[in-house]
Amino acid sequence: MSKVVEISPTTRHEGHSKLVLKVNDAGIIETGNWCSITPVRGVERLAVGKTMEQVPKIASRVCGICPIAHTLAGIESMEASIGCEIPQDAYLLRVILQLANRLHSHALHDILILPDLYIPGTDTKINPFTPEEPVRSVAKRIQRLREIGQTIGQIAGGEAVHPSNPRIGGMYKACTPRAKAKMYDLAKEGLVLAHQQMDFMIAVIRNFHKRDWAEVGGKKIAIPKDLGFHNQGYMATHPFYGSTSLDECPTWDYDRFKEVRPWDWYMGEMEVDLADPSYPIGGTSPVGTKVNPQMEACTGIPMYDGQPVEVGPRARLAVFKGYDEKGTQGQNIAREMEYTDSLYAMLNALDEYDPSGPVLADEIPCGDGSMGWSANEAPRGTDVHLARVKDNKVLWYSMLVPTTWNFATCSAALTGAPWQLAEIVVRGYDPCVSCATHMIVIDEDNKLVAQKLIQ
Amino acid sequence: MGAELGKYKSCVSARSTDKAILAGAQDGGIVTTLFAYALEEGIIDGAIVAGPGDMPWKPRPMIATTYEELMAARGTKYNISPNVSFIKEATRSYGLDKVGIVGTPCQMQAVRKGQLYPIGLRDVSDKIALAVGIFCMENFPYQSIVQLAEDHAAMKLESVKKMEIGKGKFTFMSERGAVVPLPLKVTHKYEQPGCHVCLDYVANLADVSCGSVGSPDGWSTVFVRSKKGDDIWAKSVAAGCFETKAIDSVKPGLELVTKLANEKIGKNQKTVEERKTFGVGKGLRIPYI
Repeated sequence: MSKVVEISPTTRHEGHSKLVLKVNDAGIIETGNWCSITPVRGVERLAVGKTMEQVPKIASRVCGICPIAHTLAGIESMEASIGCEIPQDAYLLRVILQLANRLHSHALHDILILPDLYIPGTDTKINPFTPEEPVRSVAKRIQRLREIGQTIGQIAGGEAVHPSNPRIGGMYKACTPRAKAKMYDLAKEGLVLAHQQMDFMIAVIRNFHKRDWAEVGGKKIAIPKDLGFHNQGYMATHPFYGSTSLDECPTWDYDRFKEVRPWDWYMGEMEVDLADPSYPIGGTSPVGTKVNPQMEACTGIPMYDGQPVEVGPRARLAVFKGYDEKGTQGQNIAREMEYTDSLYAMLNALDEYDPSGPVLADEIPCGDGSMGWSANEAPRGTDVHLARVKDNKVLWYSMLVPTTWNFATCSAALTGAPWQLAEIVVRGYDPCVSCATHMIVIDEDNKLVAQKLIQ
Repeated sequence: MGAELGKYKSCVSARSTDKAILAGAQDGGIVTTLFAYALEEGIIDGAIVAGPGDMPWKPRPMIATTYEELMAARGTKYNISPNVSFIKEATRSYGLDKVGIVGTPCQMQAVRKGQLYPIGLRDVSDKIALAVGIFCMENFPYQSIVQLAEDHAAMKLESVKKMEIGKGKFTFMSERGAVVPLPLKVTHKYEQPGCHVCLDYVANLADVSCGSVGSPDGWSTVFVRSKKGDDIWAKSVAAGCFETKAIDSVKPGLELVTKLANEKIGKNQKTVEERKTFGVGKGLRIPYI
């Protein structure tokens, strides 16, 4: 008979979410519900009536891990709405900024998943904070990669977190030749470290998935070979940057997108009847706890072609490079493979960048209210911002952030996994839950249906 | 008082040995020479200085990374150059790791405060490699300088060759040889009112601070304050960048610096006290050191 177990909150990822899992007698998940319970930010409502310069800066504040993606997607959605083309050198600076963000975000994710993994050939889990070798040098390498990413972001974007340099029409400041040389040197240093880090991580990830069991809360849990497999599609718009509705051939289609209500997707009210106090970080919720994912989930469910899709490193590699490894293993390895890709792309952009070129468009239109969208390939997936701008003011704004796309897909991917390994599947998506929480859902008749959730 | 000159390790009267710098320097060419030395030695990789602006005698902060750029910024312009506003940008799109900055006492306070509480100055604190302060009695808005030059000194600002404050006079010198000394009594009302609460005359928080007061013409009085400043100053003197004289061997010497510092502090302390009771039932906020 099915039982319900709740892991709340989930740990080692950004934001606040929980898992409500219906499991069979063997502890295998029959239905997975992974939902965001971070309170609603309301950025999309705040944006209405603000100037188009302000809104991307506000949108950036939704999260501190990929504020660069939000700033760029926000700005480019405004530019798409008003029809503003930016100079090539401004675009290159944005590319450099984008890749710097990816570098430091992926490095951070390594720290978050390492405690799940084992030192190859042993039954010892990796503690990234231990002073002992060889882990210590890995931790230092991760920190240096993050530092490199943040410093490059700081130079190209003005700030590593919440970049100040990008603006509607391009960038405020061009980088000097000296700054360009500094970024180049840093990227070259990062490339060597990225190769080492990628090799190390792929080895320990493969080692984990070759194992028969993993220890969770003092118990040995069998690792299925299809951990995290799902049959949903992939969505990606560019190998590393993105696409906007201004492009000659946009790679995202607004007409194929639809957002539905969480209670069409999640389970209704239930009571927890399976608990494990030995589960890490304080155990699972006690028996008798009332759960109601339908009502508690603070997200919409975006669909592409009528189905939830996966976004992120694996989706990018699958769409653009023919990558075919599935499951949590495939996802984590794809992320590692993006390390070097992002540095090579950054070096190419730096080569091409001309410090004396203009970085601001000659003319910035005020907008006529037409819809523009921008899809930015954030570290953890496609971040689509949609906007309507009229006379410099934002009429309407919407953010479809990476983890929102992944919530439903990941919930499907949980099926078949032992419930104790559910968090490992979730972490494979490198979730960033706080920005995924955005909640003004309207139904087909444009009626606000999410009122109950925000009461 | 006793604390009017701040803490310092040593004080000398000095002059640059670089004739090219001295040709356009305000006094002893200390700031330009020190930055040029620091640039050459890699102690800094750029300096925020008051470069030429888009109007005559209106300074604009600029980041000098070469000797030539430093040369363009020589000399005092007696109005506001918001150098601190460039401090973050220097470490960003200019890509500097070791920043030199020159400024008035209030700007040195801002730099140190920014280092202590780096709000909005992420990763900037550790990149300030050399902060050079200049003596300052008060500053003027640009409009005041226009008025003083064109109305009081009767010369077009474009034709002013040098401005100088000393010996109780604000002196304007034109390219055609006219010299118009204006008594400070006349210029007081043109001062920036915000300066009247400042209790620092000799840039107490700089690594090295300098100014003409206390030394003979063409020389500057230099206070070496921090360990970092001491190190750089000692090296630059050893490298032959400056000729120095002991401060007690020159006239008018520290006595005058102390007198003027006390004058400034005493006068401005009165404004501070007045502001405390300004308004009904509440005082104005007073900046403090």
